[in-house]
Amino acid sequence: MTRSRQKVQKKTNSRNKTQRHLIADLHKHSPISEQYRTIRTNIEFSSVDKELRSFVVTSAGPGEGKSTSVANLAIVMAQNGNTVLIVDADMRRPTAHYTFNLANTRGLTNVLSKQSLLEETVQKTNINNLSILTCGPIPPNPAELLNSQMMEIMMKEALAQFDIVFFDAPPVMAVTDAQLLANKVDGTILVTSSGKTDKEEIIKTKELLDKTKANILGVILNNKPVDEKSYYYYS
Amino acid sequence: MEETTSLKDILYTLKGQFKLLILLPVIAIAFTAIVSFFLLTPKYQSDTQLLISQTNGGLDQAFTQTEIRTNIELINTYNEIIKNARILEPVILETNVDLTTSQLDKMITVSTANESQVIKISVEDTSPEQAVLLANTIAQVFESEIPEIMNVDNVNILSPAKIDESLSPISPNPYLNMAIAAVVGLMLSIAVVFILEYLDTTIKTEKDIEEALKLPLLGSVSNMDTMQESTKKYT
Repeated sequence: MTRSRQKVQKKTNSRNKTQRHLIADLHKHSPISEQYRTIRTNIEFSSVDKELRSFVVTSAGPGEGKSTSVANLAIVMAQNGNTVLIVDADMRRPTAHYTFNLANTRGLTNVLSKQSLLEETVQKTNINNLSILTCGPIPPNPAELLNSQMMEIMMKEALAQFDIVFFDAPPVMAVTDAQLLANKVDGTILVTSSGKTDKEEIIKTKELLDKTKANILGVILNNKPVDEKSYYYYS
Repeated sequence: MEETTSLKDILYTLKGQFKLLILLPVIAIAFTAIVSFFLLTPKYQSDTQLLISQTNGGLDQAFTQTEIRTNIELINTYNEIIKNARILEPVILETNVDLTTSQLDKMITVSTANESQVIKISVEDTSPEQAVLLANTIAQVFESEIPEIMNVDNVNILSPAKIDESLSPISPNPYLNMAIAAVVGLMLSIAVVFILEYLDTTIKTEKDIEEALKLPLLGSVSNMDTMQESTKKYT
């Protein structure tokens, strides 16, 4: 039942996916883009001493807006003049290539299995300063790949070529992938969805991430019900 | 301060489930209306009044206080007698109704206007004609039987039941029922809203995140489906 509803939801999403997902690019002055810029600022200020350059974005369960958040945050950061790379590390259900309308013939899995080099595999988007490393063929052992030596090398290379690297991770409650990634990056961003994320689950998620010594920067609240009053400021 | 916040929360919760709050009472009203108008058989009431007064052997003498008190005390006795089989059996025989004495007993209400010497016999029946007939027969039988039973002749029929007076049914009262249904429905829907709210353990607001996770909020993103319309004007 819920499963089929999710499917229907996914269908409607994909119909206007490009428009929905890339709101920060398509509607630069919309309130939502402004909200993403606020998040960008808060991320920039969340560490004083250490420069934060690599981030993993994850959530407790599926469909809470990880990929949307990654895409839009990457866009507002790219608009700020940084070169940004999005790595689709959700090897269970990759979506980045749909979001940016790119081919997924080669991607992260090829780089990690040494079939291709990072520079060759990264694809440019039509947004300035923003590049994507799609997932590539879905591997049978995502957790193993993410925990490999090659992953560390790939991350170093990516940080040498780009100012900021975002990893789109699978949900924490489902698989261990996000925990593995959170341990390797500078900062972890948790995505919650209003009216969807369960309190118990998100608390458990935080505990799981804390165990891997993840540096949780903070939480993004998605799908916040629109309060009419908040428009007046912008209009 | 604390109290205003919680009151605001309550109102906000109720506002969020506005549809349910309206729907439940409406269903309750509609249901009661159908039941009251179509399913319940209307009942009619017909009254006859008896005056209890000692004729006192025809002496043209003013009533003394004691006599009146005695009469009032007698009325309590009469109340019991009226509903006795001694009276009801002849009534059934005379009117030829298809009822047992205990059934008839349930249809009769005997009351006295406070401290007066007037007894009111009310009969409720699904047929107004039968109610009138029964009320009048009871009064007549009682009047003729009482000298034999009590050895006094002090009962007079004050006003016999009339058919035209009792044409509108006394029960059910559809409008009263509907009003009760509306109130009960509203209370029920408020209860349902709060139970739903209590059972819903999802994250909803920024406050929930701070309370549950003790992590900084990086920002919130409005619901994109509802924002889509409004964002169009910014393009």
